[in-house]
Amino acid sequence: MSTAEHNEVKVQVKNLTKKFGSLHVLDNISFDIKKGEFMCVVGPTGCGKTTFLNMLTKIYEPTGGELRIDGELADPKKHNLACVFQEPSSFPWLTVEENLKFGLKIKKLPEKEIQERVETIIRIMGLEKFRKSYPGQLSVSSEQRVIIGRAFAMQPDLLLMDEPYGQMDIKLRFYLEDEVLRLWREFGTTVVFITHNIEEAVYLSERCLILTNKPAAIKEIVENKLPYPRDIAGEDFITLRKHITEQIKWW
Amino acid sequence: MGGTNKSTVEERKKTAWADWGYRLLPVLSILLLILSWHLASSNSPDSFPTIQATWERFLLLWEKPIMRVSYPGHILASLKRVCIALFFSWLIGISFGIIIGWNRKMDAFFGTIFAFIRPIPPIAWIPLITIWFGIDEFPKILIVFIGAVMPVVINTHAGLSSVEQLYLNVGTAFNANRFQMLFEVAIPSALPSIFAGIRTSTSTAWMVVLAAEMLGAKSGVGFLVVRGMDGLDMPLVLVAMITIGVIGALLAAVTNFMERRLCPWMSIR
Repeated sequence: MSTAEHNEVKVQVKNLTKKFGSLHVLDNISFDIKKGEFMCVVGPTGCGKTTFLNMLTKIYEPTGGELRIDGELADPKKHNLACVFQEPSSFPWLTVEENLKFGLKIKKLPEKEIQERVETIIRIMGLEKFRKSYPGQLSVSSEQRVIIGRAFAMQPDLLLMDEPYGQMDIKLRFYLEDEVLRLWREFGTTVVFITHNIEEAVYLSERCLILTNKPAAIKEIVENKLPYPRDIAGEDFITLRKHITEQIKWW
Repeated sequence: MGGTNKSTVEERKKTAWADWGYRLLPVLSILLLILSWHLASSNSPDSFPTIQATWERFLLLWEKPIMRVSYPGHILASLKRVCIALFFSWLIGISFGIIIGWNRKMDAFFGTIFAFIRPIPPIAWIPLITIWFGIDEFPKILIVFIGAVMPVVINTHAGLSSVEQLYLNVGTAFNANRFQMLFEVAIPSALPSIFAGIRTSTSTAWMVVLAAEMLGAKSGVGFLVVRGMDGLDMPLVLVAMITIGVIGALLAAVTNFMERRLCPWMSIR
Protein backbone atom coordinates (compact mmCIF):
# COMPACT_ATOMS: atom_id res chain seq x y z
CA MET A 1 0.00 0.00 0.00
CA SER A 2 1.42 3.43 -0.94
CA THR A 3 2.19 5.98 1.76
CA ALA A 4 -0.11 8.54 0.13
CA GLU A 5 -3.02 6.12 0.31
CA HIS A 6 -2.16 5.24 3.86
CA ASN A 7 -2.37 8.89 4.90
CA GLU A 8 -5.88 9.32 3.51
CA VAL A 9 -8.47 9.57 6.31
CA LYS A 10 -11.00 6.77 6.04
CA VAL A 11 -13.02 7.15 9.20
CA GLN A 12 -13.56 10.34 11.14
CA VAL A 13 -14.94 10.17 14.68
CA LYS A 14 -15.97 13.62 15.97
CA ASN A 15 -17.11 14.43 19.52
CA LEU A 16 -18.74 11.02 19.91
CA THR A 17 -20.79 10.81 23.11
CA LYS A 18 -23.09 8.08 24.41
CA LYS A 19 -25.36 8.11 27.43
CA PHE A 20 -27.80 5.40 28.52
CA GLY A 21 -30.17 7.49 30.67
CA SER A 22 -27.98 8.85 33.44
CA LEU A 23 -25.14 6.42 32.64
CA HIS A 24 -22.44 8.29 30.78
CA VAL A 25 -20.46 5.73 28.77
CA LEU A 26 -18.50 7.63 26.12
CA ASP A 27 -17.35 11.21 26.53
CA ASN A 28 -16.59 13.39 23.57
CA ILE A 29 -14.28 11.07 21.63
CA SER A 30 -12.58 12.40 18.49
CA PHE A 31 -10.00 10.68 16.30
CA ASP A 32 -9.29 9.63 12.70
CA ILE A 33 -8.56 6.24 11.24
CA LYS A 34 -6.46 6.21 8.10
CA LYS A 35 -7.30 4.14 5.07
CA GLY A 36 -6.00 0.61 5.38
CA GLU A 37 -4.90 1.17 8.96
CA PHE A 38 -4.94 -1.47 11.69
CA MET A 39 -6.05 0.23 14.88
CA CYS A 40 -6.44 -1.44 18.25
CA VAL A 41 -8.63 -0.07 21.02
CA VAL A 42 -7.68 -0.94 24.60
CA GLY A 43 -9.03 0.20 27.94
CA PRO A 44 -10.10 -0.97 31.37
CA THR A 45 -12.77 -3.71 31.54
CA GLY A 46 -16.26 -2.24 31.22
CA CYS A 47 -15.01 1.15 30.04
CA GLY A 48 -17.31 1.15 27.02
CA LYS A 49 -15.21 -0.47 24.30
CA THR A 50 -18.09 -2.60 23.02
CA THR A 51 -20.54 0.34 23.21
CA PHE A 52 -18.08 2.28 21.09
CA LEU A 53 -17.99 -0.52 18.53
CA ASN A 54 -21.76 -0.95 18.55
CA MET A 55 -22.11 2.70 17.61
CA LEU A 56 -19.81 2.19 14.67
CA THR A 57 -22.03 -0.67 13.46
CA LYS A 58 -25.11 1.42 14.19
CA ILE A 59 -26.51 -1.15 16.62
CA TYR A 60 -26.66 1.93 18.93
CA GLU A 61 -27.20 5.53 17.87
CA PRO A 62 -24.80 8.05 19.46
CA THR A 63 -26.21 10.61 21.90
CA GLY A 64 -23.98 13.26 20.40
CA GLY A 65 -21.26 13.67 17.80
CA GLU A 66 -20.85 12.01 14.44
CA LEU A 67 -19.08 9.33 12.54
CA ARG A 68 -17.99 9.86 8.95
CA ILE A 69 -16.67 7.36 6.45
CA ASP A 70 -14.94 8.85 3.38
CA GLY A 71 -16.28 12.24 4.44
CA GLU A 72 -19.93 11.12 4.47
CA LEU A 73 -22.03 10.40 7.55
CA ALA A 74 -21.73 6.68 8.26
CA ASP A 75 -24.72 4.77 6.95
CA PRO A 76 -24.76 0.97 6.88
CA LYS A 77 -26.89 1.18 3.72
CA LYS A 78 -24.24 3.18 1.90
CA HIS A 79 -21.04 2.00 3.52
CA ASN A 80 -19.71 -1.41 3.85
CA LEU A 81 -19.22 -2.37 7.49
CA ALA A 82 -18.42 -5.83 8.76
CA CYS A 83 -18.21 -7.05 12.30
CA VAL A 84 -16.64 -9.98 14.14
CA PHE A 85 -18.23 -10.53 17.54
CA GLN A 86 -16.63 -11.98 20.63
CA GLU A 87 -18.85 -15.07 20.68
CA PRO A 88 -18.73 -17.64 17.85
CA SER A 89 -21.37 -16.16 15.57
CA SER A 90 -21.44 -18.41 12.52
CA PHE A 91 -24.88 -19.68 11.57
CA PRO A 92 -25.17 -23.37 12.50
CA TRP A 93 -27.71 -24.04 9.70
CA LEU A 94 -25.35 -22.93 6.92
CA THR A 95 -22.31 -24.78 5.62
CA VAL A 96 -18.91 -23.06 5.74
CA GLU A 97 -19.32 -21.96 2.13
CA GLU A 98 -22.85 -20.66 2.74
CA ASN A 99 -21.72 -18.82 5.87
CA LEU A 100 -19.02 -17.06 3.86
CA LYS A 101 -21.63 -16.10 1.26
CA PHE A 102 -24.11 -14.77 3.82
CA GLY A 103 -23.20 -11.08 3.85
CA LEU A 104 -22.63 -11.01 0.10
CA LYS A 105 -26.08 -12.45 -0.59
CA ILE A 106 -27.66 -9.97 1.83
CA LYS A 107 -25.97 -7.27 -0.25
CA LYS A 108 -27.34 -8.91 -3.42
CA LEU A 109 -24.00 -8.98 -5.24
CA PRO A 110 -23.91 -10.81 -8.60
CA GLU A 111 -23.58 -14.58 -8.19
CA LYS A 112 -20.28 -14.64 -10.10
CA GLU A 113 -18.67 -12.09 -7.81
CA ILE A 114 -19.97 -13.89 -4.72
CA GLN A 115 -18.41 -17.13 -5.96
CA GLU A 116 -15.08 -15.45 -6.74
CA ARG A 117 -14.81 -13.71 -3.39
CA VAL A 118 -15.76 -16.86 -1.46
CA GLU A 119 -13.21 -18.93 -3.38
CA THR A 120 -10.49 -16.40 -2.51
CA ILE A 121 -11.38 -16.51 1.18
CA ILE A 122 -11.55 -20.32 1.21
CA ARG A 123 -8.11 -20.47 -0.39
CA ILE A 124 -6.47 -17.89 1.87
CA MET A 125 -7.97 -19.34 5.03
CA GLY A 126 -7.25 -22.94 4.04
CA LEU A 127 -10.88 -23.96 4.40
CA GLU A 128 -11.07 -26.17 1.29
CA LYS A 129 -11.74 -29.41 3.11
CA PHE A 130 -14.40 -27.80 5.33
CA ARG A 131 -16.31 -26.19 2.46
CA LYS A 132 -19.39 -28.42 2.89
CA SER A 133 -19.10 -28.88 6.66
CA TYR A 134 -21.42 -27.29 9.17
CA PRO A 135 -19.97 -25.10 11.97
CA GLY A 136 -21.00 -27.76 14.50
CA GLN A 137 -18.47 -30.10 12.88
CA LEU A 138 -15.56 -27.65 13.17
CA SER A 139 -13.09 -26.92 15.92
CA VAL A 140 -13.33 -23.55 17.70
CA SER A 141 -10.40 -22.13 15.73
CA SER A 142 -11.80 -23.24 12.37
CA GLU A 143 -15.18 -21.76 13.24
CA GLN A 144 -13.57 -18.45 14.18
CA ARG A 145 -11.70 -18.52 10.86
CA VAL A 146 -15.05 -18.85 9.08
CA ILE A 147 -16.40 -15.82 10.98
CA ILE A 148 -13.31 -13.74 10.19
CA GLY A 149 -13.46 -14.92 6.58
CA ARG A 150 -17.15 -13.97 6.37
CA ALA A 151 -16.24 -10.43 7.47
CA PHE A 152 -13.28 -10.10 5.07
CA ALA A 153 -15.36 -11.46 2.15
CA MET A 154 -17.43 -8.27 2.38
CA GLN A 155 -14.27 -6.29 1.49
CA PRO A 156 -15.55 -3.79 4.03
CA ASP A 157 -14.74 -0.10 4.22
CA LEU A 158 -14.34 -0.72 7.90
CA LEU A 159 -13.93 -4.04 9.70
CA LEU A 160 -14.78 -4.04 13.40
CA MET A 161 -13.53 -6.82 15.63
CA ASP A 162 -14.72 -7.04 19.21
CA GLU A 163 -12.29 -9.15 21.26
CA PRO A 164 -12.57 -11.94 18.69
CA TYR A 165 -9.96 -14.07 20.45
CA GLY A 166 -11.09 -13.32 23.99
CA GLN A 167 -12.06 -16.90 24.79
CA MET A 168 -9.17 -18.69 23.15
CA ASP A 169 -6.03 -20.21 24.51
CA ILE A 170 -2.66 -18.66 23.76
CA LYS A 171 -1.65 -21.02 20.92
CA LEU A 172 -4.87 -20.47 19.02
CA ARG A 173 -4.69 -16.74 19.59
CA PHE A 174 -1.18 -16.44 18.16
CA TYR A 175 -2.23 -18.46 15.15
CA LEU A 176 -5.36 -16.41 14.45
CA GLU A 177 -3.57 -13.11 15.07
CA ASP A 178 -1.17 -13.96 12.24
CA GLU A 179 -4.15 -15.02 10.13
CA VAL A 180 -5.91 -11.69 10.57
CA LEU A 181 -2.69 -9.80 9.73
CA ARG A 182 -2.37 -11.86 6.54
CA LEU A 183 -5.93 -11.03 5.47
CA TRP A 184 -5.46 -7.36 6.37
CA ARG A 185 -2.39 -7.16 4.14
CA GLU A 186 -4.06 -9.09 1.32
CA PHE A 187 -7.20 -6.94 1.20
CA GLY A 188 -5.93 -3.60 2.54
CA THR A 189 -8.97 -3.41 4.83
CA THR A 190 -9.27 -0.73 7.53
CA VAL A 191 -9.53 -2.60 10.83
CA VAL A 192 -10.64 -1.51 14.31
CA PHE A 193 -9.73 -4.29 16.73
CA ILE A 194 -10.96 -4.12 20.31
CA THR A 195 -9.06 -6.12 22.90
CA HIS A 196 -8.28 -6.17 26.60
CA ASN A 197 -5.06 -8.03 25.90
CA ILE A 198 -2.24 -5.45 25.69
CA GLU A 199 0.24 -7.89 24.19
CA GLU A 200 -2.24 -8.61 21.42
CA ALA A 201 -2.72 -4.89 20.80
CA VAL A 202 1.03 -4.31 20.49
CA TYR A 203 1.44 -7.38 18.27
CA LEU A 204 -1.25 -6.30 15.80
CA SER A 205 -1.74 -2.55 15.73
CA GLU A 206 -0.24 0.27 13.72
CA ARG A 207 -1.79 2.63 16.22
CA CYS A 208 -3.29 1.87 19.58
CA LEU A 209 -6.12 3.91 21.06
CA ILE A 210 -6.18 3.86 24.86
CA LEU A 211 -9.50 4.64 26.52
CA THR A 212 -9.92 5.82 30.13
CA ASN A 213 -12.33 4.38 32.67
CA LYS A 214 -16.04 5.22 32.31
CA PRO A 215 -17.10 7.70 30.98
CA ALA A 216 -14.51 6.72 28.41
CA ALA A 217 -12.39 9.41 26.82
CA ILE A 218 -9.15 9.08 24.85
CA LYS A 219 -6.16 8.76 27.15
CA GLU A 220 -3.57 8.48 24.41
CA ILE A 221 -3.13 7.31 20.84
CA VAL A 222 0.12 5.33 20.65
CA GLU A 223 1.98 5.04 17.34
CA ASN A 224 3.36 1.54 16.90
CA LYS A 225 6.12 1.51 14.30
CA LEU A 226 7.63 -1.88 15.20
CA PRO A 227 8.25 -3.88 12.00
CA TYR A 228 6.05 -6.93 11.24
CA PRO A 229 6.30 -9.80 12.10
CA ARG A 230 6.78 -8.65 15.66
CA ASP A 231 8.78 -10.40 18.32
CA ILE A 232 6.83 -10.43 21.57
CA ALA A 233 10.06 -10.97 23.52
CA GLY A 234 11.89 -8.07 21.82
CA GLU A 235 13.03 -5.14 23.92
CA ASP A 236 11.05 -2.49 21.99
CA PHE A 237 7.95 -4.67 22.11
CA ILE A 238 8.17 -5.02 25.89
CA THR A 239 8.82 -1.29 26.37
CA LEU A 240 5.73 -0.41 24.34
CA ARG A 241 3.64 -3.01 26.16
CA LYS A 242 4.73 -1.62 29.53
CA HIS A 243 3.94 1.94 28.43
CA ILE A 244 0.39 1.01 27.36
CA THR A 245 -0.14 -0.95 30.58
CA GLU A 246 0.92 2.12 32.59
CA GLN A 247 -1.50 4.30 30.62
CA ILE A 248 -4.43 1.90 31.16
CA LYS A 249 -3.99 1.68 34.94
CA TRP A 250 -6.89 3.40 36.64
CA TRP A 251 -6.15 2.30 40.20
CA MET B 1 3.56 -51.24 22.26
CA GLY B 2 2.25 -54.83 22.38
CA GLY B 3 0.28 -53.96 25.50
CA THR B 4 -1.36 -51.03 23.74
CA ASN B 5 -2.41 -53.24 20.82
CA LYS B 6 -3.83 -55.82 23.18
CA SER B 7 -5.85 -53.24 25.07
CA THR B 8 -7.13 -51.76 21.76
CA VAL B 9 -8.28 -55.21 20.64
CA GLU B 10 -10.00 -55.74 23.98
CA GLU B 11 -11.67 -52.34 23.77
CA ARG B 12 -12.92 -53.13 20.27
CA LYS B 13 -14.31 -56.44 21.47
CA LYS B 14 -16.09 -54.62 24.27
CA THR B 15 -17.58 -52.08 21.85
CA ALA B 16 -18.72 -54.89 19.53
CA TRP B 17 -20.45 -56.62 22.42
CA ALA B 18 -22.07 -53.35 23.49
CA ASP B 19 -23.31 -52.81 19.89
CA TRP B 20 -24.86 -56.27 19.86
CA GLY B 21 -26.42 -55.58 23.24
CA TYR B 22 -28.07 -52.39 21.98
CA ARG B 23 -29.45 -54.24 18.95
CA LEU B 24 -30.67 -57.13 21.07
CA LEU B 25 -32.47 -55.11 23.74
CA PRO B 26 -35.39 -53.90 21.55
CA VAL B 27 -35.97 -57.46 20.28
CA LEU B 28 -35.91 -58.70 23.85
CA SER B 29 -38.49 -56.13 24.95
CA ILE B 30 -40.86 -57.14 22.12
CA LEU B 31 -40.44 -60.83 22.99
CA LEU B 32 -41.25 -60.04 26.63
CA LEU B 33 -44.38 -58.13 25.57
CA ILE B 34 -45.54 -61.08 23.44
CA LEU B 35 -44.81 -63.48 26.30
CA SER B 36 -46.84 -61.41 28.78
CA TRP B 37 -49.66 -61.18 26.23
CA HIS B 38 -49.59 -64.95 25.90
CA LEU B 39 -49.62 -65.49 29.68
CA ALA B 40 -52.39 -62.95 30.30
CA SER B 41 -54.63 -64.12 27.47
CA SER B 42 -54.33 -67.86 28.13
CA ASN B 43 -56.06 -67.36 31.53
CA SER B 44 -59.10 -65.47 30.18
CA PRO B 45 -59.30 -65.94 26.39
CA ASP B 46 -62.85 -64.46 26.28
CA SER B 47 -61.99 -61.00 27.47
CA PHE B 48 -58.38 -60.97 26.24
CA PRO B 49 -57.91 -62.61 22.82
CA THR B 50 -54.97 -64.94 22.44
CA ILE B 51 -52.13 -64.36 19.97
CA GLN B 52 -53.47 -67.20 17.85
CA ALA B 53 -57.04 -65.76 17.73
CA THR B 54 -55.72 -62.29 16.87
CA TRP B 55 -53.51 -63.65 14.08
CA GLU B 56 -56.44 -65.61 12.62
CA ARG B 57 -58.67 -62.51 12.76
CA PHE B 58 -55.91 -60.56 11.00
CA LEU B 59 -55.80 -63.10 8.16
CA LEU B 60 -59.60 -63.13 7.94
CA LEU B 61 -59.63 -59.35 7.67
CA TRP B 62 -57.58 -59.60 4.45
CA GLU B 63 -60.11 -62.04 2.97
CA LYS B 64 -63.37 -60.50 4.20
CA PRO B 65 -63.74 -56.72 3.90
CA ILE B 66 -65.72 -54.80 6.55
CA MET B 67 -68.37 -52.43 5.16
CA ARG B 68 -67.06 -53.31 1.69
CA VAL B 69 -63.72 -51.71 2.53
CA SER B 70 -60.60 -53.87 2.59
CA TYR B 71 -58.08 -53.80 5.47
CA PRO B 72 -55.57 -51.64 3.54
CA GLY B 73 -58.55 -49.51 2.46
CA HIS B 74 -59.35 -48.74 6.11
CA ILE B 75 -55.73 -47.81 6.77
CA LEU B 76 -55.63 -45.59 3.68
CA ALA B 77 -58.91 -43.91 4.67
CA SER B 78 -57.41 -42.89 8.03
CA LEU B 79 -54.09 -41.89 6.45
CA LYS B 80 -55.86 -39.75 3.84
CA ARG B 81 -57.68 -37.79 6.54
CA VAL B 82 -54.45 -37.38 8.50
CA CYS B 83 -52.41 -36.28 5.48
CA ILE B 84 -54.93 -33.65 4.33
CA ALA B 85 -55.29 -32.30 7.88
CA LEU B 86 -51.51 -32.28 8.40
CA PHE B 87 -50.85 -30.48 5.13
CA PHE B 88 -53.18 -27.62 6.09
CA SER B 89 -52.12 -27.58 9.74
CA TRP B 90 -48.44 -27.22 8.75
CA LEU B 91 -49.20 -24.59 6.13
CA ILE B 92 -51.47 -22.50 8.35
CA GLY B 93 -49.79 -23.34 11.67
CA ILE B 94 -46.26 -22.43 10.55
CA SER B 95 -47.44 -19.20 8.86
CA PHE B 96 -49.52 -18.15 11.87
CA GLY B 97 -46.75 -19.14 14.30
CA ILE B 98 -44.25 -17.04 12.33
CA ILE B 99 -46.59 -14.03 12.32
CA ILE B 100 -47.26 -14.07 16.06
CA GLY B 101 -43.69 -15.12 16.93
CA TRP B 102 -42.07 -12.36 14.89
CA ASN B 103 -44.48 -9.48 15.32
CA ARG B 104 -45.09 -8.40 18.91
CA LYS B 105 -48.30 -6.53 18.07
CA MET B 106 -49.76 -9.61 16.38
CA ASP B 107 -48.68 -11.68 19.36
CA ALA B 108 -50.41 -9.29 21.75
CA PHE B 109 -53.56 -9.35 19.60
CA PHE B 110 -53.87 -13.08 18.83
CA GLY B 111 -51.93 -14.45 21.79
CA THR B 112 -54.77 -14.22 24.30
CA ILE B 113 -57.39 -15.79 22.05
CA PHE B 114 -54.96 -18.55 21.18
CA ALA B 115 -54.08 -19.18 24.83
CA PHE B 116 -57.81 -19.63 25.49
CA ILE B 117 -58.56 -21.92 22.53
CA ARG B 118 -55.40 -24.03 22.88
CA PRO B 119 -56.35 -26.13 25.93
CA ILE B 120 -59.71 -27.20 24.43
CA PRO B 121 -59.22 -30.84 23.33
CA PRO B 122 -60.07 -31.42 19.66
CA ILE B 123 -62.63 -34.08 20.68
CA ALA B 124 -64.63 -31.40 22.53
CA TRP B 125 -65.28 -29.73 19.18
CA ILE B 126 -67.04 -32.82 17.81
CA PRO B 127 -70.64 -31.90 18.83
CA LEU B 128 -70.45 -28.38 17.40
CA ILE B 129 -68.66 -29.47 14.24
CA THR B 130 -71.18 -32.28 13.71
CA ILE B 131 -74.06 -29.78 13.94
CA TRP B 132 -72.33 -27.34 11.59
CA PHE B 133 -70.94 -29.74 9.00
CA GLY B 134 -72.66 -33.13 9.50
CA ILE B 135 -70.75 -36.41 9.59
CA ASP B 136 -69.11 -36.32 6.20
CA GLU B 137 -65.33 -36.37 5.50
CA PHE B 138 -64.77 -32.63 6.01
CA PRO B 139 -65.76 -32.48 9.71
CA LYS B 140 -63.42 -35.39 10.53
CA ILE B 141 -60.53 -33.70 8.74
CA LEU B 142 -61.39 -30.43 10.50
CA ILE B 143 -61.21 -32.07 13.94
CA VAL B 144 -57.84 -33.61 13.09
CA PHE B 145 -56.70 -30.22 11.80
CA ILE B 146 -57.68 -28.53 15.09
CA GLY B 147 -55.66 -31.08 17.03
CA ALA B 148 -52.63 -30.94 14.74
CA VAL B 149 -52.39 -27.19 14.23
CA MET B 150 -51.92 -26.32 17.93
CA PRO B 151 -48.46 -27.86 18.50
CA VAL B 152 -47.21 -26.40 15.21
CA VAL B 153 -48.30 -22.89 16.18
CA ILE B 154 -46.93 -23.19 19.72
CA ASN B 155 -43.51 -24.47 18.64
CA THR B 156 -43.14 -22.11 15.68
CA HIS B 157 -44.07 -19.20 17.93
CA ALA B 158 -41.56 -20.33 20.56
CA GLY B 159 -38.80 -20.73 17.96
CA LEU B 160 -39.38 -17.34 16.34
CA SER B 161 -39.70 -15.41 19.58
CA SER B 162 -36.47 -16.80 21.01
CA VAL B 163 -34.00 -16.33 18.15
CA GLU B 164 -30.56 -15.74 19.66
CA GLN B 165 -29.75 -12.04 19.89
CA LEU B 166 -26.25 -12.75 18.56
CA TYR B 167 -27.66 -14.01 15.23
CA LEU B 168 -29.87 -10.93 14.96
CA ASN B 169 -26.84 -8.70 15.69
CA VAL B 170 -24.92 -10.41 12.90
CA GLY B 171 -27.87 -9.69 10.59
CA THR B 172 -27.89 -6.03 11.69
CA ALA B 173 -24.12 -5.73 11.24
CA PHE B 174 -24.47 -7.08 7.68
CA ASN B 175 -27.31 -4.59 7.14
CA ALA B 176 -30.04 -7.18 6.52
CA ASN B 177 -33.48 -5.64 5.96
CA ARG B 178 -36.48 -6.89 7.94
CA PHE B 179 -37.49 -9.36 5.26
CA GLN B 180 -33.96 -10.83 5.04
CA MET B 181 -33.73 -10.88 8.83
CA LEU B 182 -36.88 -13.03 8.95
CA PHE B 183 -36.14 -15.40 6.08
CA GLU B 184 -32.34 -15.66 6.27
CA VAL B 185 -31.84 -15.54 10.04
CA ALA B 186 -34.95 -16.01 12.19
CA ILE B 187 -36.78 -18.81 10.35
CA PRO B 188 -33.69 -21.00 9.78
CA SER B 189 -32.67 -20.58 13.41
CA ALA B 190 -36.22 -21.56 14.47
CA LEU B 191 -36.33 -24.69 12.26
CA PRO B 192 -35.44 -27.16 15.03
CA SER B 193 -38.32 -25.80 17.07
CA ILE B 194 -40.68 -25.83 14.07
CA PHE B 195 -39.79 -29.47 13.48
CA ALA B 196 -40.50 -30.33 17.09
CA GLY B 197 -44.00 -28.97 16.41
CA ILE B 198 -44.31 -31.01 13.21
CA ARG B 199 -43.36 -34.20 15.08
CA THR B 200 -45.91 -33.58 17.82
CA SER B 201 -48.59 -32.61 15.30
CA THR B 202 -48.11 -35.87 13.39
CA SER B 203 -48.61 -38.06 16.45
CA THR B 204 -51.52 -35.89 17.63
CA ALA B 205 -53.19 -36.08 14.21
CA TRP B 206 -52.98 -39.87 14.23
CA MET B 207 -54.53 -40.05 17.71
CA VAL B 208 -57.30 -37.58 16.91
CA VAL B 209 -58.30 -39.21 13.60
CA LEU B 210 -58.93 -42.49 15.43
CA ALA B 211 -61.06 -40.73 18.03
CA ALA B 212 -62.98 -38.90 15.29
CA GLU B 213 -63.57 -42.17 13.44
CA MET B 214 -64.76 -43.91 16.58
CA LEU B 215 -67.55 -41.34 16.85
CA GLY B 216 -69.05 -41.81 13.42
CA ALA B 217 -67.43 -43.21 10.32
CA LYS B 218 -67.83 -46.05 7.84
CA SER B 219 -64.13 -46.54 7.20
CA GLY B 220 -60.81 -46.10 8.93
CA VAL B 221 -58.85 -47.87 11.62
CA GLY B 222 -60.82 -46.13 14.38
CA PHE B 223 -63.99 -47.48 12.81
CA LEU B 224 -62.53 -51.02 13.04
CA VAL B 225 -62.10 -50.56 16.81
CA VAL B 226 -65.75 -49.51 17.19
CA ARG B 227 -66.92 -52.28 14.91
CA GLY B 228 -65.02 -54.84 17.03
CA MET B 229 -66.42 -53.37 20.23
CA ASP B 230 -70.02 -53.37 18.95
CA GLY B 231 -69.79 -56.95 17.71
CA LEU B 232 -67.85 -58.13 20.80
CA ASP B 233 -65.14 -59.07 18.32
CA MET B 234 -62.14 -58.49 20.61
CA PRO B 235 -59.56 -60.00 18.22
CA LEU B 236 -60.61 -57.33 15.69
CA VAL B 237 -60.13 -54.65 18.35
CA LEU B 238 -56.62 -55.94 19.01
CA VAL B 239 -55.77 -56.15 15.28
CA ALA B 240 -56.89 -52.51 14.92
CA MET B 241 -54.89 -51.48 17.99
CA ILE B 242 -51.71 -53.11 16.71
CA THR B 243 -52.27 -51.47 13.31
CA ILE B 244 -52.58 -48.09 15.06
CA GLY B 245 -49.28 -48.67 16.85
CA VAL B 246 -47.40 -49.78 13.72
CA ILE B 247 -48.72 -46.96 11.50
CA GLY B 248 -48.04 -44.42 14.27
CA ALA B 249 -44.43 -45.59 14.53
CA LEU B 250 -44.07 -45.45 10.72
CA LEU B 251 -45.40 -41.88 10.66
CA ALA B 252 -42.86 -40.90 13.33
CA ALA B 253 -40.10 -42.48 11.23
CA VAL B 254 -41.24 -40.51 8.18
CA THR B 255 -41.13 -37.18 10.07
CA ASN B 256 -37.69 -38.06 11.47
CA PHE B 257 -36.49 -38.76 7.94
CA MET B 258 -37.93 -35.44 6.71
CA GLU B 259 -36.21 -33.62 9.57
CA ARG B 260 -32.85 -35.20 8.78
CA ARG B 261 -33.18 -34.23 5.11
CA LEU B 262 -34.33 -30.66 5.72
CA CYS B 263 -32.16 -29.87 8.77
CA PRO B 264 -28.97 -31.87 8.14
CA TRP B 265 -26.96 -29.74 10.58
CA MET B 266 -29.06 -30.91 13.50
CA SER B 267 -28.10 -34.56 13.26
CA ILE B 268 -24.35 -33.85 13.19
CA ARG B 269 -24.24 -32.13 16.57
